[in-house]
Amino acid sequence: MRKEHFFAGVKAALPVIVGYVPVAFAYAILAGEAGLSLRDNVLMSVMVFAGASQIMATGMVIQGASAVAIVAATFLLNLRHFIMSTYVMHHLKETPVGLRLLAAFGVTDESFALFSVAKAEYRSVWYLYGMVMVTYLSWVGGTIVGALTSAIMPTVLSNAMGIALYAMFIGLLVPNIGRESRVALLVLATGLINVLLMQMMASSWAMIAATLLGAALGLVIIDDEPKEGLE
Amino acid sequence: MNHFWLIVCMALVTFVPRALPAAFIEQMRFNRTMERFLSYLPYTAMAALIFPAVFYVDPNRLEIGMIGALVALVLAWRKMSVIVVVMAAVFSNVLLYLW
Repeated sequence: MRKEHFFAGVKAALPVIVGYVPVAFAYAILAGEAGLSLRDNVLMSVMVFAGASQIMATGMVIQGASAVAIVAATFLLNLRHFIMSTYVMHHLKETPVGLRLLAAFGVTDESFALFSVAKAEYRSVWYLYGMVMVTYLSWVGGTIVGALTSAIMPTVLSNAMGIALYAMFIGLLVPNIGRESRVALLVLATGLINVLLMQMMASSWAMIAATLLGAALGLVIIDDEPKEGLE
Repeated sequence: MNHFWLIVCMALVTFVPRALPAAFIEQMRFNRTMERFLSYLPYTAMAALIFPAVFYVDPNRLEIGMIGALVALVLAWRKMSVIVVVMAAVFSNVLLYLW
């Protein structure tokens, strides 16, 4: 049972590798330029495990930003994971708290998205561990290779792989929308809300506000029975 | 502050928001409305992650993101597996860059 869930999680997370490795390379090279030692370069991926914030933070190091500003920006950018973790942990109430805390380290945009579309019977902490093993190893592994080799990946390929994670989200979302036009409407409306809010506030806040406002809008425009996640 | 302590602080402020729900989920009571609210979060979070960022994967060439997203959309609509959707979108962008 545990094994089965774990390996189902591993399998589900394989598409993430395509998205993570080029981003990990990009981060590792930038961190090298920012003057991080090989140890610190890899250590950030090992300890923080949040791609966008690592790239932002190393960019800020290069610009000479203060440590306080970098830590504050990191907090804000990663605050959205609070919402995602709340969703995930709501499905893991039966799991011992120690196992949950370990799993919490691996809650990223991608593992959250994959978890939410998983079949209800697979939504266990072991499934999450399987996914996180793949995402974490590809993130840390990509960082190590990138930092050691300064990653001579063809520019065309690394640029083109920038679409990978978005394509994955589309690939997860669209089949679950199916023919429910209200849900499709909700997705489009949330995107629009995000675009509007980005004109008024930092994009990290906009994303959080759009996610919450969108879900509130869902209460209004979707009137069916509560469902277990996306299934 | 040297890089090591900067990384430790970044790790802390990243982990705490991820960990709080893990620690306190049993204390959080969800009524029916809250359950529904939670059930919409995957849709809205993914929507906010995709829009508008997907159009700016290459800020100098907006068609890169648009066509990649369109390829992904069509294949996902046809219920292709996620890995196929991802590979096809990447491949379409490789072609666009080589054009």
